[in-house]
Amino acid sequence: MAAPCPLPPPDPQFVLRGTQSPVHALHFCEGRQAQGHPLLFSGSQSGLVHIWSLQMRRALTTLDGHGGQCVTWLQTLPQGHQLLSQGRDLKLCLWDLAEGRNAVVDSVPLESVGFCRSSILVQGQPRWMLAVPGKGSNEVQILEMPSKTSVCTLKPEADAKLGMPMCLRLWQADCSPRPLLLAGYEDGSVALWDVSEQKVCSRIACHEEPVMDLDFDSQKAKGISGSAGKALAVWRLDGQQALQVCGTHQLTNPGIAEVTIRPDRKILATAGWDHRIRVFHWRKMQPLAVLAFHSAAIQCVAFAADGLLAAGSKDQRISLWSLYPCA
Amino acid sequence: MMAVFDTPEEAFGVLRPVCVQLTKTQTVENVEHLQTRLQAVSDSALQELQQYILFPLRFTLKTPGPKRERLIQSVVECLTFVLSSTCVKEQELLQELFSELSACLYSPSSQKPAAVSEELKLAVIQGLSTLMHSAYGDIILTFYEPSILPRLGFAVSLLLGLAEQEKSKQIKIAALKCLQVLLLQCECQDHPRSLDELEQKQLGDLFASFLPGISTTLTRVITGDFKQGHSIVVSSLKIFYKTVSFIMADEQLKRISKVQAKSAVEHRVAELMVHREADWVKNTGNKLTILIKKIIECVSVHPHWKVRLELVELVEDLLLKCSQSLVESAGPLLKALVGLVNDESPEVQAQCNKVLRHFADQKVVVGNKALADILSESLHSLATSLPRLMTSQDDQGKFSTLSLLLGYLKLLGPKINFVLNSVAHLQRLSKALIQVLELDVADIKIVEERCWNSDDLNASPKTSATQPWNHIQRRYFRFFTDERIFMLLRQVCQLLGYYGNLYLLVDHFMELYRQSVVYRKQAAMILNELVTGAAGLEVEDLHEKHIKTNPEELREIVTSILEEYTSQENWYLVTCIETEEMGEELMMEHPGLQAITSGEHTSQVTSFLAFSKPSPIVCSMNSNIWQICIQLEGIGQFAYALGKDFCLLLMSTLYPVLEKAGDQTLLISQVATSTMMDICHACGYDSLQHLINQNSDYLVNGISLNLRHLALHPHTPKVLEVMLRNSDANLLPLVADVVQDVLATLDQFYDKRAASFVSVLHALLAALAQWFPDTGNLRHLHEQSLGEEGSHLNQRPATLENSTTAEDIEQFLLNYLKEKDVADGNVSDFDNEEEEQPVPPKVEENDTHPDVEPPLPLQIQMAMDVMERCIHLLSDKNLQIRLKVLRTLGSKCGDFLRSRFCKDVLPKLAGSLVTQAPISARAGPVYSHTLAFKLQLAVLQGLGPLCERLDLGEGDLNKVADACLIYLSAKQPVKLQEAARSVFLHLMKVDPDSTWFLLIELYCPTQFTPPHPSLHPVQLRGASRQQNPYMANVLRLLKELQ
Repeated sequence: MAAPCPLPPPDPQFVLRGTQSPVHALHFCEGRQAQGHPLLFSGSQSGLVHIWSLQMRRALTTLDGHGGQCVTWLQTLPQGHQLLSQGRDLKLCLWDLAEGRNAVVDSVPLESVGFCRSSILVQGQPRWMLAVPGKGSNEVQILEMPSKTSVCTLKPEADAKLGMPMCLRLWQADCSPRPLLLAGYEDGSVALWDVSEQKVCSRIACHEEPVMDLDFDSQKAKGISGSAGKALAVWRLDGQQALQVCGTHQLTNPGIAEVTIRPDRKILATAGWDHRIRVFHWRKMQPLAVLAFHSAAIQCVAFAADGLLAAGSKDQRISLWSLYPCA
Repeated sequence: MMAVFDTPEEAFGVLRPVCVQLTKTQTVENVEHLQTRLQAVSDSALQELQQYILFPLRFTLKTPGPKRERLIQSVVECLTFVLSSTCVKEQELLQELFSELSACLYSPSSQKPAAVSEELKLAVIQGLSTLMHSAYGDIILTFYEPSILPRLGFAVSLLLGLAEQEKSKQIKIAALKCLQVLLLQCECQDHPRSLDELEQKQLGDLFASFLPGISTTLTRVITGDFKQGHSIVVSSLKIFYKTVSFIMADEQLKRISKVQAKSAVEHRVAELMVHREADWVKNTGNKLTILIKKIIECVSVHPHWKVRLELVELVEDLLLKCSQSLVESAGPLLKALVGLVNDESPEVQAQCNKVLRHFADQKVVVGNKALADILSESLHSLATSLPRLMTSQDDQGKFSTLSLLLGYLKLLGPKINFVLNSVAHLQRLSKALIQVLELDVADIKIVEERCWNSDDLNASPKTSATQPWNHIQRRYFRFFTDERIFMLLRQVCQLLGYYGNLYLLVDHFMELYRQSVVYRKQAAMILNELVTGAAGLEVEDLHEKHIKTNPEELREIVTSILEEYTSQENWYLVTCIETEEMGEELMMEHPGLQAITSGEHTSQVTSFLAFSKPSPIVCSMNSNIWQICIQLEGIGQFAYALGKDFCLLLMSTLYPVLEKAGDQTLLISQVATSTMMDICHACGYDSLQHLINQNSDYLVNGISLNLRHLALHPHTPKVLEVMLRNSDANLLPLVADVVQDVLATLDQFYDKRAASFVSVLHALLAALAQWFPDTGNLRHLHEQSLGEEGSHLNQRPATLENSTTAEDIEQFLLNYLKEKDVADGNVSDFDNEEEEQPVPPKVEENDTHPDVEPPLPLQIQMAMDVMERCIHLLSDKNLQIRLKVLRTLGSKCGDFLRSRFCKDVLPKLAGSLVTQAPISARAGPVYSHTLAFKLQLAVLQGLGPLCERLDLGEGDLNKVADACLIYLSAKQPVKLQEAARSVFLHLMKVDPDSTWFLLIELYCPTQFTPPHPSLHPVQLRGASRQQNPYMANVLRLLKELQ
């Protein structure tokens, strides 16, 4: 049976080179900083954060604040002038980037050496909430920023045996002001925490391997998680705040380092250990493309507001892809 | 002449007798007598006696009855003399003299001037002219009162008649001059006061009566035979426009009341007067338009430039002063002006431009709706007829039509958009441009001219401001040959780009570009000029307030054009039959081809290679070449237009341009190189190297992505090669990155495109060796040994001298033994004798990391990766690749390879040479077109340098020599003989003695006599054969040895 000949997979629009070290974190910033041209931040294993101009396609600045230890997570605060970087030097740095400055203005000490990325929730200026892996191996710590006041520590019940938290996502439902946290655990389960009550609302064991990353679409109340195994899991949150598995999607090769839903919630992309980026239709979970360019494991994927996709790999390159343009 | 009589009294005394005499007897002699006396009288005295002296003269003129012409002439001349030295202070006298002089030419029988001698006519004209100049102060104005109308009219028509009908050029000119004086247009210095409004109006009213006569007659003169001389036409034109612009001046006309004021003149005169009310103006304007059109039609092609220059003045004067009253004429007038913008005479051009600028400053066109409408309409109609004109006209016709178009665009400025916004008109205009810009692509040379070394990127941009079209490639058009037409077309497009709606225009021409290959080249040329024009760098702007396209927008537009230009289907066109790649592919498909020598195949090859006349293939390849060149030139022009802003486009542009700089077609490579210069200049790089070096990241991106589709981008390795040659050690990480891609791709395409990769790898190793120079030890030794060899060679001739003594022989033997010692490896003794080996400086470095083995430096790691691939390629099926690889490796790491070469490669190479030799020895001339021949040649050419570099041992050298000896035969093709000789030249460097011996064995030119009687004579094999096929080559080689 002859299948219709599929279109050849596209090429990257451009490839950024020069990190000289595996890329572990990517983040787009649509600030007004570069006169309407978005910036891309990349965090490398050598501890550097590169700021790339997407107009020039060149690195503008390099931030060195993690003593040569791997940078695992990058996030800008809404105004775009402040950057958070999490490093394996047990430090979370807050950078001031306004008006050409690039200095660390504050830092939060971390107590977990894992690869678990932090998460923020901006409720109202200037206060925001930060979730970081906690001191105990199974704990998540919630801080109020910028005062760095500890709000609480989310610790599963003793008999739960969830293992370490692997990924975190703070969010807030439109109808309720209560902050919620989705966390993926080492045992392959995803749990929904009510932060104020410090209790697990719901938990599903949707993977057999540790959950590597998850992303959540709060409008559709639907999320997706990837693990070290061969499956992607899609799950839903019902009216009673209970998680339910909607389905799983089997992959040919194991290992998803990051899964990201595009801001317009039309498609999502996964970073595969098999050197490939996979793109899916978010509603139908239909596979759209397998992007082969990198020569080593992909560690992170990120979308810009205009739909541009970036992928960072162990091969020290960052590929940029323009796919299925946003309407 | 000195005035002898200063006082009136003295003068009176002298003049009185002659005056009395003249009054009594009116003869020529008496007049001349008077004139002679007059010449001795001073001006002041003359003024006092003016009336007295004039009396006998006027009396003579007035005396009734027939007179001799000669007498009248002398009287008029004498009168003129008096008037030229005196003033007429009474109006009455002025009027009377005017009438009396005019009457001299009056013939009561006919309307025409009297049939009198030319001398008399001239005298009267001079007299009238002098009279008007002698009028004192304001009496000249009082002269022009309505009552003079009949007499003045008579004089005017008299003069017009003379100007038109006389044969003598002198009289014609004098009559015209006099007419100017009468109409107060005289340009001499004697009329100081300018007229006030009322005076102007009164004169205008008066002169209006003459307008029909003056305008029609002068039109006839102006449009008369070119041969009548330019000065007559120039004067006539001047009088025409000055008169018209005075009588029809909008300034005057707007003050004319509806009802004619009752004037106190007699009825007869009042009938002659004209009232310049609206109807009259309209009618007159219409009639004048007919005349003006006639004049323009005739004068704009007048052969004398001064006439055309005067036409420019006419247009300026009439349009500035009478744009309302002569609104019907505005179109033709503007057309005339615009048509002269590119006149062949620089004076006319300059004046035209001055007038256009003046118009723009005064907002004559833009500020005047009527004129702007007229111009738009003219442009509309020109656009309509343009396609037809461009096909039907000759070069000269095209030139004037396009000049006209250019002028309209210049004058209309931003208002051209009214025309462009009409789809129909834009289409007509573009159709015409596309049509006329069609190239002639039949030139076969373009395809044939190749450039083999594309490495020369050392040129630096010219220091002078480079304008892209200063070095634009000469091209040939189907529909015209005049280079000036091309320049005009470019200017037209630039102006369109400057004033027109750029989005609209670019859209339109991009559409045509995509539509058909027939339009593509022309559309690209037009797009290039549109952008250049839009940047406003070369456009002479007549409309100062015009806002240029903003740089951001322009960059976006350029980006979209560039995308189209460099897209797969427009950039990668077939421009030649790629011999190298073709050869490779052929060989892959038919491995047996290497040895094929059958006639059938060779004839195919030859017919394939030799084009006898431009075939459709050649034409389409030429067309492709031109398309690429035009697009390249466009990129240069875009860079020029955008300046520094172009830097942002380098990421997408530099790669494709650099790729073309290495194109095998000479024209493309030249144009691409000059495009790179333009880019350097625009972006502020001082050399091509600098440009490439600073933008290697963009290049690497292109290379890496294109390597993924190698079949589509077969030249990608070439770009990397060029980049490597222009990079430095700072770029090592970047290079390392892309080399990973190269090696990965090579791994994928071992069978297909290995050859192009091997040269990249070669370039890479060369670059690495250059960026990270050796610490020196090895190279030092190597150079030393080379030096040894050199001196050894130099010694040879001395030892072969005839005057050899026993001591020489002894010395030779000693030397020989010593060298043999060295050759056997006993170097240590030798070194001790010379000097102490310097301590290798590396030891220190090793001390810093005593125990840990340091990770290999990146460059070494890369080199190792490369060599690993090369080892695989050593067993490639393709001989050329094997050789290339060997040369690559051989130049960098001799020892490592020698054994491999000797074991695997050499036997095969030598074997193929030996088996192929008899075939090539028998083959005819077509053999040189076969693959087999090319392979033989390649092997022979490659072996020499390899043997030398790999430093082969004696046994292997013998193998090489044995295989190559057969090719020294005169039976072999000349090229193979040459290549074989080159092998031996290399062998001589490695081992001169055994090579010498080998050659002597083949053919020995001389009998060797021992240097000393005590030694036995030598018997050599070669000496016995007197004539053999190797003789010539051996002799040549032996010559090299001595």
